[in-house]
Amino acid sequence: MRYAFYPGCSLEGTAKDFHRSTLAVAGRLGLELPELKDWICCGSTAAHTTNPLLADALPARNLRAAQGVPVAVACAACYSRLKTANYHIAQDSSVRANVAKAVGGDYDGETPVRHLLEILGRDIGEKAVARAIVRPLAGLRVACYYGCLLTRPPEVTQFDDAENPTLMDKLLETAGATVVDWPHKTECCGASFSIADSSIVVELSDKILAMAKAAGVDCIATACPLCQLNLDMRQKDIEVKLGRRYDMPIFYFTQLLGLAMGCSAGELSLSSLMVDPRKLLKSRGLGEAAAQPVGVKR
Amino acid sequence: MTPSTILIQEIGGNLAGEVQDLSGVSPMSCFQCTKCSSGCPVASRADVKPHQLVRLLQTGQREAALTNRFIWECTSCQTCVTRCPQQVDIPAMNDALRALSLKEKKAPAETAVPVFAAAFLKSIRKRGRVHELSLMATFKLRTRRLFEDADKAPMMLRKGKLPLLGSRVSGRSEREELFRRSAKGGKP
Repeated sequence: MRYAFYPGCSLEGTAKDFHRSTLAVAGRLGLELPELKDWICCGSTAAHTTNPLLADALPARNLRAAQGVPVAVACAACYSRLKTANYHIAQDSSVRANVAKAVGGDYDGETPVRHLLEILGRDIGEKAVARAIVRPLAGLRVACYYGCLLTRPPEVTQFDDAENPTLMDKLLETAGATVVDWPHKTECCGASFSIADSSIVVELSDKILAMAKAAGVDCIATACPLCQLNLDMRQKDIEVKLGRRYDMPIFYFTQLLGLAMGCSAGELSLSSLMVDPRKLLKSRGLGEAAAQPVGVKR
Repeated sequence: MTPSTILIQEIGGNLAGEVQDLSGVSPMSCFQCTKCSSGCPVASRADVKPHQLVRLLQTGQREAALTNRFIWECTSCQTCVTRCPQQVDIPAMNDALRALSLKEKKAPAETAVPVFAAAFLKSIRKRGRVHELSLMATFKLRTRRLFEDADKAPMMLRKGKLPLLGSRVSGRSEREELFRRSAKGGKP
């Protein structure tokens, strides 16, 4: 299957580790992810809180450029915006007409949008993923955290069960990890308030970390740049403001899959995580990869 | 406002209709089951809870609906609409209320969300993509929150998460046109 990869703005900066580990895992699976040429930002929260037409037009500008080739997305927020625009445009002819005027050409809302979890778990499938596993994550207890925008609203994303998604769980189980059943898989971390109102992020991320700790996991796996950043970077603020210390490594699911596929720490950008995962990985016999941090001065 | 009381302060106007025109959402189908507020991640801190906000629209309480903090604290997590038995899309309704609140200059002074959104959209218009470092700098200067989260940029720079130069995509005039037409509802 061919895809046009839409990395999104975060993957060029705060989520460059998501980007690198995505490409590393894709490489191990023989999955080609050529970037959609001259893609622009999906508009994110800023567009839909400002102007509904702009929020549909920016994704449409990108999806139209893909010329029918399925668009592969890593960021859950981009995924949500692209899927929502498709939903609005395909369902409502007046939206379609206005979007056509805004972007200077018609777009039918039919270009498929696939998240990496769907591509790995469904298009490629667990069997093919299992064949690429060379270093099972034995003994690593993981809470899979999906956040809001992959599953909700379900009629728009059609991703998985909205209250209890399992796509990531199955992939990491295939990679040999022990995934736990826990109730905060789809709770909100505070998302885009990361900068604009961090008090919300501190409060909500604390609840998620507390539940993961109660579930007895070693780490959390994420599939969204904002979820990862909030849960990882805000642990320090949670300690200062709420007096709770977690020391819980927050991985991208692609980093854990990549570890199991034998990728090096450098390929997976493990050194850009704020909560250092090396001690944990070493204790689970996965320290070999983590022992080669590259590129970042400490 | 106490949790169970809405003081009817005004009658008339058609706020629910305006919201429906902007968002396609009808507040009138809500029968106050409060499932939205039960699952809302920010309800515990909200001055107006989601089901109360819908009631404010049903009863045409313009001032209260446009001046509350909650519409700016909603994380658009979509939990409420996913669970609502009547499919009342409160996140989309909040987008419409934010737009009306800004237009009528009723947004609470303490919210920084509009400033953040404006800086974000400007980055898209100019560069095609968002450059996080410039976005953070612009936001801090505009809101004068220079010391809040002052440790974050150095943390991220150290981790190589904030490239100094962002990428730029050509086609600026095409983007300016897209923004201009979107602002006019698709009109040329």
